[in-house]
Amino acid sequence: MDLEIQQRVKDMAEKYGPENVIVILGSSEAEAAGLAAETVSNGDPTYAGPLAGISLGLAVYHILEPEVKAEIDPTVYDNEVGMMEMVLDVEEISKEVSSIREQFSNI
Amino acid sequence: MPYRVVHYINQFFGQVGGEDKADTQPFIKEGVVGPGMALKGALGQDAVIVATVICGDGYFNENLETAKAEVLSMVERYSPDIFIAGPAFNAGRYGVACGAICKEVKEKLGIPVITGMYPENPGVDLYKKDAYVVKTSDSAAGMRKAVPLMANLAIKLLKGEAIGSPDEDSYIERGIRKNVFKNELGAKRAVDMLVAKLSGAEFTTEYPMPAFDRVTPNPPIKDMSNAKVALVTSGGIVPKGNPDKIESSSASKYGRYSIAGVEALTADTYETAHGGYDPVYANADPNRVLPVDVMRELEKEGVIGKLYDYYYATVGNGTSVANAMKYAQAIAKDLIADGVQAVILTST
Repeated sequence: MDLEIQQRVKDMAEKYGPENVIVILGSSEAEAAGLAAETVSNGDPTYAGPLAGISLGLAVYHILEPEVKAEIDPTVYDNEVGMMEMVLDVEEISKEVSSIREQFSNI
Repeated sequence: MPYRVVHYINQFFGQVGGEDKADTQPFIKEGVVGPGMALKGALGQDAVIVATVICGDGYFNENLETAKAEVLSMVERYSPDIFIAGPAFNAGRYGVACGAICKEVKEKLGIPVITGMYPENPGVDLYKKDAYVVKTSDSAAGMRKAVPLMANLAIKLLKGEAIGSPDEDSYIERGIRKNVFKNELGAKRAVDMLVAKLSGAEFTTEYPMPAFDRVTPNPPIKDMSNAKVALVTSGGIVPKGNPDKIESSSASKYGRYSIAGVEALTADTYETAHGGYDPVYANADPNRVLPVDVMRELEKEGVIGKLYDYYYATVGNGTSVANAMKYAQAIAKDLIADGVQAVILTST
């Protein structure tokens, strides 16, 4: 996750309180999604960015996860995400992100 | 008292910025920065990171000598017991910087040095003999795996414990051969390996071969009768007396010699400088290694257009692949500039 985005997540968590922030990811690969999820929950695993060593414990989901899909108007979801839902490995991405969430999200 | 560690990282991991900050001059901060946090955890109670040097990859590589001196003086001030750089993963300039500064610190301060890189990082080949380079993945996503390995090796070095083989301690082979006693004779071990190989079972070689790159051949020359052909040899044929003093082993150079008007090489005018084979037959008739005589015949018969007026020679005996590649690149540049279309390479 690039350094600017890490900083923005960190700032928002400070401003609104970590319990009021949920991060929704859109990464197209499971590994990248997992790294981003870990960054906002346990801290930057590459130790390169502002979240290095900072465990915000934020709730984090991928846009393709069923929990997120269930919250969105099906027509809108289909229009905006439907295409990517067909081409990406939904199961692999969901498995990766939910496993990180279970380990590190406090909310 | 815990051991003292100084850690080196680049501008990116030092949280200064990305490529736009690559010209950052070196500076030192007390305590840990970035990956140092992970390293601190992995080192435990035995060692403490007293300071972290941060330097831009661009600055380091463009000002190598100055940068090395600057970083060294910063490191020295903290009197560390060990120096750890990176890990650099597959970042080329970062890897070269880590390797170069490790070498400098080891030579000038006499303390153990460790870095971490992906095996294909150019810094590996340059510095694997000078530092322990822990094998990492190609991106920073491998930080979590790399750091404990580096910390483990650091603690072993600090405590003076025996370092295991590259496989055991996860570092890249340093080209060091060590005599060890085995319970079984070499012949039996070799046969066991062969049997395992034939039956598809796993085995570990005792002498891994270096990985050579494959060169795709150029398309054939359509008209040899008009082609200018050059002779290049690693068989060490030099003018009598070896004017460039090309070494008989691990050659540090190659020579370029005129053969304009030479019909054939003779024992009076040429000899071999090669130390890796019996030179008697090559010295008696140097054409056996560098076939000028046959090339002249082919030239007369019109099989080839022309034999190039110079030949290039080096000694292939023990010469590193990296050096051989360097010579070949320089030679090829000359040959192309002079309109040579084909090269006959002869060895020994």
